[in-house]
Amino acid sequence: MKTQLFIELLAKRAGPAPRAPVLQRMAPAVAAGLFVSALFALISMGSIPAAMYETPAPWMKLIYGASLALAAGWLTARLSRPVARTRWPVLAVLAVFAVMLGLGFLTWMVAAPEQRMAALFGDTWLTCPRNVVVLSLPALAGALWAVRGLAPTQLTAAGFNAGLMAGALGAMGYALVCPEVSATFVAVWYSLGILLTGLLGAFLGPRLLRW
Amino acid sequence: MPLETDKNDFEASLKPVWMRAQQGDEAAYREALEKIASRVRGFLRWRMQAMPDEIEDLVQETLLALHLQRGTFDPGMPVSAWVTAIARHKLVDLWRRRGRRDNRHDALDDVDEELLVAEPAEDGAQRDLDRLLRELPEVQRQAIVLTKIEGLSVSAAAMQTGISESAIKVQVHRGLKRLAQWVKDTGS
Repeated sequence: MKTQLFIELLAKRAGPAPRAPVLQRMAPAVAAGLFVSALFALISMGSIPAAMYETPAPWMKLIYGASLALAAGWLTARLSRPVARTRWPVLAVLAVFAVMLGLGFLTWMVAAPEQRMAALFGDTWLTCPRNVVVLSLPALAGALWAVRGLAPTQLTAAGFNAGLMAGALGAMGYALVCPEVSATFVAVWYSLGILLTGLLGAFLGPRLLRW
Repeated sequence: MPLETDKNDFEASLKPVWMRAQQGDEAAYREALEKIASRVRGFLRWRMQAMPDEIEDLVQETLLALHLQRGTFDPGMPVSAWVTAIARHKLVDLWRRRGRRDNRHDALDDVDEELLVAEPAEDGAQRDLDRLLRELPEVQRQAIVLTKIEGLSVSAAAMQTGISESAIKVQVHRGLKRLAQWVKDTGS
Protein backbone atom coordinates (compact mmCIF):
# COMPACT_ATOMS: atom_id res chain seq x y z
CA MET A 1 0.00 0.00 0.00
CA LYS A 2 1.15 3.51 -0.73
CA THR A 3 2.20 5.47 2.28
CA GLN A 4 0.17 8.47 1.13
CA LEU A 5 -2.96 6.31 1.16
CA PHE A 6 -2.04 4.95 4.57
CA ILE A 7 -1.73 8.49 5.92
CA GLU A 8 -5.18 9.33 4.55
CA LEU A 9 -6.47 6.28 6.37
CA LEU A 10 -4.89 7.20 9.68
CA ALA A 11 -5.95 10.83 9.56
CA LYS A 12 -9.51 10.24 8.43
CA ARG A 13 -11.96 10.78 11.30
CA ALA A 14 -9.04 10.59 13.68
CA GLY A 15 -10.48 13.11 16.10
CA PRO A 16 -8.44 14.69 18.87
CA ALA A 17 -5.65 12.81 20.60
CA PRO A 18 -6.72 10.84 23.67
CA ARG A 19 -6.30 12.91 26.80
CA ALA A 20 -4.12 11.80 29.68
CA PRO A 21 -3.80 8.18 28.51
CA VAL A 22 -0.99 7.59 30.98
CA LEU A 23 -3.08 8.51 34.00
CA GLN A 24 -6.06 6.66 32.59
CA ARG A 25 -4.15 3.40 32.46
CA MET A 26 -2.01 3.77 35.57
CA ALA A 27 -4.71 4.86 38.01
CA PRO A 28 -6.87 1.71 37.82
CA ALA A 29 -3.77 -0.50 37.92
CA VAL A 30 -2.57 1.22 41.10
CA ALA A 31 -5.98 1.16 42.78
CA ALA A 32 -6.62 -2.49 41.93
CA GLY A 33 -3.10 -3.53 42.94
CA LEU A 34 -3.34 -1.83 46.32
CA PHE A 35 -6.80 -3.20 47.00
CA VAL A 36 -5.94 -6.80 46.12
CA SER A 37 -2.71 -6.65 48.05
CA ALA A 38 -4.38 -5.28 51.22
CA LEU A 39 -7.24 -7.74 50.95
CA PHE A 40 -4.93 -10.69 50.45
CA ALA A 41 -2.71 -9.61 53.37
CA LEU A 42 -5.67 -9.23 55.75
CA ILE A 43 -7.24 -12.54 54.75
CA SER A 44 -4.08 -14.61 54.80
CA MET A 45 -2.28 -13.10 57.81
CA GLY A 46 -4.87 -11.22 59.83
CA SER A 47 -4.83 -7.56 60.81
CA ILE A 48 -2.54 -6.12 63.45
CA PRO A 49 -4.36 -5.25 66.72
CA ALA A 50 -6.36 -2.03 66.43
CA ALA A 51 -4.39 -0.49 69.29
CA MET A 52 -1.30 -0.51 67.10
CA TYR A 53 -2.83 2.19 64.94
CA GLU A 54 -2.43 4.52 67.91
CA THR A 55 1.34 4.05 67.66
CA PRO A 56 3.42 5.54 64.84
CA ALA A 57 4.62 2.16 63.50
CA PRO A 58 1.92 1.31 60.90
CA TRP A 59 1.64 4.94 59.84
CA MET A 60 5.35 5.16 59.22
CA LYS A 61 5.14 2.12 56.94
CA LEU A 62 2.05 3.40 55.15
CA ILE A 63 3.55 6.85 54.60
CA TYR A 64 6.80 5.31 53.35
CA GLY A 65 4.88 3.05 50.95
CA ALA A 66 2.59 5.81 49.74
CA SER A 67 5.41 8.33 49.15
CA LEU A 68 7.48 5.77 47.30
CA ALA A 69 4.49 4.60 45.25
CA LEU A 70 3.82 8.23 44.27
CA ALA A 71 7.42 8.98 43.36
CA ALA A 72 8.00 5.71 41.50
CA GLY A 73 4.60 6.03 39.85
CA TRP A 74 5.50 9.51 38.64
CA LEU A 75 8.76 8.15 37.22
CA THR A 76 7.01 5.17 35.65
CA ALA A 77 4.50 7.50 34.02
CA ARG A 78 7.36 9.55 32.57
CA LEU A 79 9.08 6.39 31.31
CA SER A 80 5.86 5.32 29.61
CA ARG A 81 6.39 8.02 27.00
CA PRO A 82 8.83 7.64 24.10
CA VAL A 83 10.92 10.62 25.23
CA ALA A 84 11.18 10.66 29.00
CA ARG A 85 12.10 13.60 31.21
CA THR A 86 13.18 11.72 34.29
CA ARG A 87 15.35 14.06 36.33
CA TRP A 88 12.86 15.25 38.96
CA PRO A 89 11.03 11.97 39.47
CA VAL A 90 14.36 10.14 39.84
CA LEU A 91 15.35 12.62 42.54
CA ALA A 92 11.98 12.11 44.22
CA VAL A 93 12.45 8.33 44.35
CA LEU A 94 15.97 8.70 45.71
CA ALA A 95 14.76 11.23 48.28
CA VAL A 96 12.11 8.86 49.63
CA PHE A 97 14.65 6.06 50.00
CA ALA A 98 17.15 8.45 51.57
CA VAL A 99 14.66 9.72 54.16
CA MET A 100 13.63 6.19 55.17
CA LEU A 101 17.21 4.93 55.35
CA GLY A 102 18.21 8.02 57.33
CA LEU A 103 15.35 7.48 59.76
CA GLY A 104 16.30 3.81 60.11
CA PHE A 105 19.91 4.71 60.75
CA LEU A 106 19.02 7.34 63.37
CA THR A 107 16.78 4.87 65.19
CA TRP A 108 19.64 2.40 65.19
CA MET A 109 22.07 5.01 66.51
CA VAL A 110 19.90 6.15 69.40
CA ALA A 111 18.94 2.60 70.43
CA ALA A 112 20.76 1.14 73.39
CA PRO A 113 23.46 -1.24 72.13
CA GLU A 114 21.69 -4.32 73.51
CA GLN A 115 18.49 -3.37 71.66
CA ARG A 116 20.07 -2.81 68.29
CA MET A 117 19.77 -6.39 67.12
CA ALA A 118 16.08 -6.38 67.97
CA ALA A 119 15.58 -3.08 66.14
CA LEU A 120 17.26 -4.41 63.03
CA PHE A 121 15.96 -7.97 62.86
CA GLY A 122 12.71 -7.86 64.85
CA ASP A 123 10.99 -11.24 64.88
CA THR A 124 10.08 -11.45 61.22
CA TRP A 125 13.05 -10.28 59.13
CA LEU A 126 13.23 -13.63 57.36
CA THR A 127 9.67 -13.45 56.05
CA CYS A 128 9.18 -9.70 55.62
CA PRO A 129 10.90 -9.15 52.23
CA ARG A 130 9.28 -12.27 50.83
CA ASN A 131 5.83 -11.18 51.98
CA VAL A 132 6.32 -7.73 50.50
CA VAL A 133 7.30 -9.26 47.17
CA VAL A 134 4.37 -11.68 47.14
CA LEU A 135 1.89 -8.95 48.07
CA SER A 136 3.34 -6.77 45.30
CA LEU A 137 2.61 -9.23 42.52
CA PRO A 138 -0.96 -8.06 41.78
CA ALA A 139 0.21 -4.45 41.57
CA LEU A 140 3.18 -5.52 39.44
CA ALA A 141 0.90 -7.30 36.99
CA GLY A 142 -1.34 -4.24 36.86
CA ALA A 143 1.55 -1.81 36.45
CA LEU A 144 3.15 -3.83 33.65
CA TRP A 145 -0.21 -4.10 31.92
CA ALA A 146 -0.62 -0.33 32.17
CA VAL A 147 2.85 0.49 30.85
CA ARG A 148 2.59 -2.11 28.11
CA GLY A 149 -0.35 -0.25 26.58
CA LEU A 150 1.66 2.98 26.51
CA ALA A 151 4.92 3.72 24.71
CA PRO A 152 8.03 3.08 26.83
CA THR A 153 11.35 2.99 25.00
CA GLN A 154 13.64 2.20 27.93
CA LEU A 155 12.12 -1.12 28.81
CA THR A 156 14.40 -2.20 31.64
CA ALA A 157 14.11 1.15 33.41
CA ALA A 158 10.35 1.23 32.90
CA GLY A 159 10.03 -2.32 34.25
CA PHE A 160 12.26 -1.55 37.23
CA ASN A 161 10.25 1.50 38.24
CA ALA A 162 6.94 -0.22 37.67
CA GLY A 163 8.36 -2.84 40.04
CA LEU A 164 9.34 -0.23 42.63
CA MET A 165 5.88 1.24 42.51
CA ALA A 166 4.29 -2.20 42.85
CA GLY A 167 6.69 -3.04 45.68
CA ALA A 168 5.69 0.13 47.52
CA LEU A 169 2.00 -0.76 47.10
CA GLY A 170 2.69 -4.29 48.34
CA ALA A 171 4.50 -2.82 51.34
CA MET A 172 1.41 -0.77 52.13
CA GLY A 173 -0.66 -3.93 52.09
CA TYR A 174 1.86 -5.69 54.31
CA ALA A 175 1.89 -2.74 56.75
CA LEU A 176 -1.64 -3.73 57.74
CA VAL A 177 -0.47 -7.09 59.08
CA CYS A 178 3.16 -6.57 60.07
CA PRO A 179 3.87 -6.56 63.85
CA GLU A 180 7.28 -4.84 63.67
CA VAL A 181 7.69 -1.37 65.17
CA SER A 182 11.25 -0.25 64.46
CA ALA A 183 12.13 2.21 61.69
CA THR A 184 15.44 0.38 61.23
CA PHE A 185 13.54 -2.78 60.42
CA VAL A 186 11.35 -0.99 57.88
CA ALA A 187 14.28 0.82 56.29
CA VAL A 188 16.13 -2.43 55.69
CA TRP A 189 13.64 -5.24 55.13
CA TYR A 190 10.74 -3.36 53.55
CA SER A 191 13.20 -1.64 51.23
CA LEU A 192 14.76 -4.97 50.34
CA GLY A 193 11.37 -6.42 49.42
CA ILE A 194 10.58 -3.34 47.33
CA LEU A 195 13.94 -3.49 45.56
CA LEU A 196 13.47 -7.19 44.81
CA THR A 197 10.12 -6.39 43.20
CA GLY A 198 11.91 -3.67 41.22
CA LEU A 199 14.47 -6.19 39.99
CA LEU A 200 11.69 -8.58 39.01
CA GLY A 201 10.13 -5.73 37.02
CA ALA A 202 13.47 -4.93 35.40
CA PHE A 203 13.78 -8.57 34.36
CA LEU A 204 10.25 -8.69 32.96
CA GLY A 205 10.35 -5.25 31.32
CA PRO A 206 12.24 -6.12 28.13
CA ARG A 207 10.17 -9.30 27.80
CA LEU A 208 6.70 -7.91 28.37
CA LEU A 209 6.76 -4.22 27.50
CA ARG A 210 7.46 -4.35 23.75
CA TRP A 211 5.00 -2.57 21.52
CA MET B 1 25.86 23.72 11.89
CA PRO B 2 23.59 23.15 8.90
CA LEU B 3 22.21 19.94 10.40
CA GLU B 4 21.08 21.67 13.58
CA THR B 5 19.40 24.42 11.62
CA ASP B 6 17.68 21.83 9.51
CA LYS B 7 16.40 20.11 12.64
CA ASN B 8 15.16 23.37 14.10
CA ASP B 9 13.44 24.30 10.86
CA PHE B 10 11.73 20.95 10.79
CA GLU B 11 10.55 21.30 14.36
CA ALA B 12 9.41 24.88 13.80
CA SER B 13 7.35 23.90 10.76
CA LEU B 14 5.92 20.77 12.35
CA LYS B 15 5.05 21.80 15.89
CA PRO B 16 2.16 24.21 15.20
CA VAL B 17 0.60 21.82 12.69
CA TRP B 18 1.02 18.95 15.10
CA MET B 19 -0.58 20.85 17.98
CA ARG B 20 -3.60 21.61 15.79
CA ALA B 21 -3.76 17.94 14.85
CA GLN B 22 -3.72 16.92 18.51
CA GLN B 23 -6.79 19.12 19.01
CA GLY B 24 -8.63 17.14 16.31
CA ASP B 25 -7.92 19.11 13.12
CA GLU B 26 -7.99 16.37 10.49
CA ALA B 27 -6.30 18.33 7.69
CA ALA B 28 -3.53 19.39 10.03
CA TYR B 29 -3.08 15.79 11.13
CA ARG B 30 -2.73 14.65 7.54
CA GLU B 31 -0.20 17.37 6.85
CA ALA B 32 1.76 16.54 10.00
CA LEU B 33 1.83 12.84 9.14
CA GLU B 34 3.13 13.65 5.67
CA LYS B 35 5.95 15.74 7.08
CA ILE B 36 6.70 13.06 9.64
CA ALA B 37 6.63 10.27 7.05
CA SER B 38 9.27 11.88 4.90
CA ARG B 39 11.37 12.61 7.96
CA VAL B 40 11.12 9.02 9.18
CA ARG B 41 11.87 7.73 5.69
CA GLY B 42 15.09 9.73 5.69
CA PHE B 43 15.97 8.49 9.15
CA LEU B 44 15.40 4.86 8.19
CA ARG B 45 16.95 4.98 4.73
CA TRP B 46 20.25 5.87 6.28
CA ARG B 47 20.03 3.04 8.78
CA MET B 48 18.46 0.29 6.67
CA GLN B 49 20.77 0.21 3.69
CA ALA B 50 20.91 -3.57 3.99
CA MET B 51 17.16 -3.97 3.60
CA PRO B 52 15.88 -1.23 1.29
CA ASP B 53 12.71 -3.15 0.46
CA GLU B 54 11.50 -2.92 4.01
CA ILE B 55 11.99 0.78 4.62
CA GLU B 56 8.49 1.72 3.55
CA ASP B 57 6.96 -1.07 5.65
CA LEU B 58 8.71 0.31 8.67
CA VAL B 59 7.74 3.90 7.82
CA GLN B 60 4.12 2.79 7.91
CA GLU B 61 4.60 0.73 11.04
CA THR B 62 6.10 3.81 12.71
CA LEU B 63 3.21 5.98 11.57
CA LEU B 64 0.69 3.49 12.93
CA ALA B 65 2.49 3.25 16.27
CA LEU B 66 2.66 7.01 16.44
CA HIS B 67 -1.04 7.28 15.68
CA LEU B 68 -1.99 4.76 18.36
CA GLN B 69 0.24 6.48 20.91
CA ARG B 70 -0.39 10.10 20.02
CA GLY B 71 -1.78 10.64 23.50
CA THR B 72 1.68 10.04 24.97
CA PHE B 73 3.08 13.13 23.29
CA ASP B 74 4.27 15.61 25.89
CA PRO B 75 3.59 19.19 24.65
CA GLY B 76 6.65 20.36 26.55
CA MET B 77 8.92 18.33 24.27
CA PRO B 78 9.87 18.68 20.59
CA VAL B 79 7.67 16.63 18.26
CA SER B 80 10.72 15.58 16.25
CA ALA B 81 12.38 14.02 19.30
CA TRP B 82 9.20 12.10 20.07
CA VAL B 83 8.91 10.90 16.46
CA THR B 84 12.55 9.89 16.30
CA ALA B 85 12.28 7.94 19.55
CA ILE B 86 9.36 5.95 18.14
CA ALA B 87 11.11 5.32 14.82
CA ARG B 88 14.23 4.17 16.62
CA HIS B 89 12.20 1.88 18.87
CA LYS B 90 10.55 0.31 15.82
CA LEU B 91 13.89 -0.07 14.05
CA VAL B 92 15.50 -1.79 17.03
CA ASP B 93 12.49 -4.05 17.25
CA LEU B 94 12.87 -4.94 13.58
CA TRP B 95 16.54 -5.83 14.03
CA ARG B 96 15.65 -7.99 16.97
CA ARG B 97 12.92 -9.83 15.07
CA ARG B 98 15.09 -10.16 12.02
CA GLY B 99 17.98 -11.52 14.06
CA ARG B 100 15.73 -14.21 15.42
CA ARG B 101 14.23 -15.16 12.11
CA ASP B 102 17.49 -15.17 10.18
CA ASN B 103 18.92 -17.58 12.68
CA ARG B 104 16.18 -19.99 11.81
CA HIS B 105 16.49 -19.60 8.05
CA ASP B 106 20.15 -19.42 7.32
CA ALA B 107 19.72 -19.78 3.57
CA LEU B 108 19.79 -16.05 2.87
CA ASP B 109 23.33 -16.15 1.53
CA ASP B 110 22.49 -18.86 -0.98
CA VAL B 111 19.78 -16.93 -2.76
CA ASP B 112 20.43 -16.04 -6.36
CA GLU B 113 21.80 -12.52 -6.37
CA GLU B 114 19.44 -11.51 -9.15
CA LEU B 115 16.46 -12.08 -6.91
CA LEU B 116 17.80 -9.67 -4.35
CA VAL B 117 17.87 -6.65 -6.61
CA ALA B 118 15.41 -4.17 -5.19
CA GLU B 119 12.36 -3.26 -7.18
CA PRO B 120 12.35 0.45 -7.86
CA ALA B 121 10.02 0.93 -4.93
CA GLU B 122 7.60 3.73 -5.55
CA ASP B 123 6.66 4.81 -2.09
CA GLY B 124 4.66 1.68 -1.40
CA ALA B 125 4.88 -0.94 1.29
CA GLN B 126 4.84 -4.62 0.53
CA ARG B 127 2.01 -5.59 2.72
CA ASP B 128 -1.49 -5.47 1.51
CA LEU B 129 -4.13 -3.72 3.58
CA ASP B 130 -7.01 -5.79 2.26
CA ARG B 131 -5.34 -8.97 3.31
CA LEU B 132 -4.60 -7.56 6.77
CA LEU B 133 -8.14 -6.30 7.19
CA ARG B 134 -9.54 -9.72 6.44
CA GLU B 135 -7.71 -11.04 9.49
CA LEU B 136 -9.67 -8.76 11.82
CA PRO B 137 -12.86 -9.65 13.67
CA GLU B 138 -15.85 -8.50 11.65
CA VAL B 139 -16.89 -5.65 13.96
CA GLN B 140 -13.42 -4.11 13.97
CA ARG B 141 -13.00 -4.54 10.22
CA GLN B 142 -16.35 -2.92 9.59
CA ALA B 143 -15.61 0.03 11.87
CA ILE B 144 -12.31 0.68 10.10
CA VAL B 145 -13.71 0.27 6.60
CA LEU B 146 -16.66 2.57 7.26
CA THR B 147 -14.83 5.42 8.98
CA LYS B 148 -11.31 5.17 7.67
CA ILE B 149 -11.80 3.96 4.10
CA GLU B 150 -15.28 5.04 3.13
CA GLY B 151 -14.87 8.15 5.24
CA LEU B 152 -18.23 8.08 6.99
CA SER B 153 -18.51 10.23 10.09
CA VAL B 154 -18.46 8.33 13.34
CA SER B 155 -22.14 9.03 13.92
CA ALA B 156 -23.08 7.84 10.41
CA ALA B 157 -21.06 4.69 10.93
CA ALA B 158 -22.81 4.17 14.25
CA MET B 159 -26.18 4.55 12.58
CA GLN B 160 -25.33 2.13 9.81
CA THR B 161 -24.01 -0.59 12.10
CA GLY B 162 -26.40 -0.04 14.96
CA ILE B 163 -23.69 0.26 17.60
CA SER B 164 -22.88 3.37 19.60
CA GLU B 165 -20.46 6.08 18.55
CA SER B 166 -18.07 5.38 21.36
CA ALA B 167 -18.15 1.69 20.47
CA ILE B 168 -17.17 2.57 16.89
CA LYS B 169 -14.21 4.57 18.14
CA VAL B 170 -13.15 1.75 20.43
CA GLN B 171 -13.44 -0.82 17.63
CA VAL B 172 -11.39 1.33 15.24
CA HIS B 173 -8.69 1.74 17.87
CA ARG B 174 -8.68 -1.95 18.76
CA GLY B 175 -8.62 -2.94 15.10
CA LEU B 176 -5.64 -0.70 14.35
CA LYS B 177 -3.92 -1.97 17.44
CA ARG B 178 -4.48 -5.54 16.42
CA LEU B 179 -3.15 -4.79 12.94
CA ALA B 180 -0.03 -3.29 14.49
CA GLN B 181 0.46 -6.31 16.73
CA TRP B 182 -0.15 -8.69 13.87
CA VAL B 183 2.29 -6.92 11.57
CA LYS B 184 4.86 -6.96 14.36
CA ASP B 185 4.44 -10.66 15.14
CA THR B 186 4.48 -11.93 11.59
CA GLY B 187 6.81 -9.33 10.14
CA SER B 188 4.74 -9.39 6.98
